[in-house]
Amino acid sequence: MSLEPDVVTVNVTSEIDAAEARQEARRLALRHGFTTVRAHGLATAVSELAMNLVLHTDRGGLIRLTAQDATGAAVIELVAEDNGPGIPDLALAMEDGFSTRGGLGCGLPGTRRLVDTFAITSRVGEGTRIVCLVRRP
Amino acid sequence: MHGVGQILLQNRASVLDAWLARLRDTAPGAHPASLQLLKLELGTLVEKLTGYFLTDDEDGAGAGPAFKSVEEQAATTSAACARDGLTPMETATLILSLKSIAGELLDRETSAKATELYRMRTALDAVVDRLALVTFAAFVETREEIIKRQGRALLDLATPALPIWRHIILMPLVGIIDTQRARQVMEWLLEALSREEARIAILDVTGVPLIDSRVALHLTKTVEAARLLGSQVIVTGISPDAAQTLVKLDVDLSNMITRGSLRSGLAEAFRLLGQHSKGPIETMI
Repeated sequence: MSLEPDVVTVNVTSEIDAAEARQEARRLALRHGFTTVRAHGLATAVSELAMNLVLHTDRGGLIRLTAQDATGAAVIELVAEDNGPGIPDLALAMEDGFSTRGGLGCGLPGTRRLVDTFAITSRVGEGTRIVCLVRRP
Repeated sequence: MHGVGQILLQNRASVLDAWLARLRDTAPGAHPASLQLLKLELGTLVEKLTGYFLTDDEDGAGAGPAFKSVEEQAATTSAACARDGLTPMETATLILSLKSIAGELLDRETSAKATELYRMRTALDAVVDRLALVTFAAFVETREEIIKRQGRALLDLATPALPIWRHIILMPLVGIIDTQRARQVMEWLLEALSREEARIAILDVTGVPLIDSRVALHLTKTVEAARLLGSQVIVTGISPDAAQTLVKLDVDLSNMITRGSLRSGLAEAFRLLGQHSKGPIETMI
């Protein structure tokens, strides 16, 4: 078991990058002993955040996954950040069923339910940063 | 740069020989037949280049119709290199090696003053640099074209709609569903429904690695559109992992008929058809 963090970074500007990011996420989770359900959940969370980067920013953004093993446990940190337009009303964006682009409106709230901890900061005109943690007991 | 042109004209054969020697060094594993073809390409390039230097009396490089034809030939040569499996670096190295070959030739053959020689070499360098850029762009273009063709080929393969029974069509989805694929799936499914006069479409997603909210959105839209045609869609093959994830995402798939396996989906299709037809199942065949 390695104590060095295992880091994967994907630059996401198009749908194909989003697909790559979630494949990487799935592989990373399985590599660190997560169950297939948890790996699938993490991959889906990555997919949601990566598609947000594709759809809501002009120049895309970055998905960074960091896995850290500890004795008998592991944690994966998922960071999605961009220099995009930012989200004016975070509370509204986190509500189920709210969408600006005709989506289902469950991307952000759904992602929050798929991970163990979820934090989002956003400034209009500066960008958005989302940090999630997924733990393996 | 008349001088450069004259010297090239008189020494075309030796320039080409030297260049081919470099080519053999650059790509030692190349097939003799492809070397033969590349030799022709390089020969034409030397010829065009000589023609350019003979007609062009300006010092600046990269202008005029004569240079255009040199650029075109460089692009063709580069495409040939790409097809023969040379890396972009090998191709660029090959083109740039002309600098030292022709440079040495100028040093040897000209009796001009140092300043004149310097001007000649600068003009030559500028042209070869430009050709290296053109070559690189053409190389990338050739590769991109190959990738695009493969992409189109995959897209054609991806989504067959199979009439598996009277009034039932099956569409197995395999691979990543991006926006373009999703749109195509919807189009083909609706087209197949009306062509086959089918009442039921089974959409099997066993081969789809992940269903996120966007894929779910496309699925619901497809189901909705099929309903407008009077047909029902049964979605099969959602994995247990995907099911748990979809529940957490809280995607509303309640207006969709879903079955775990293709077999149970087919059974459901027969049941639905049976409700509509009076007779036993044999009459539906």
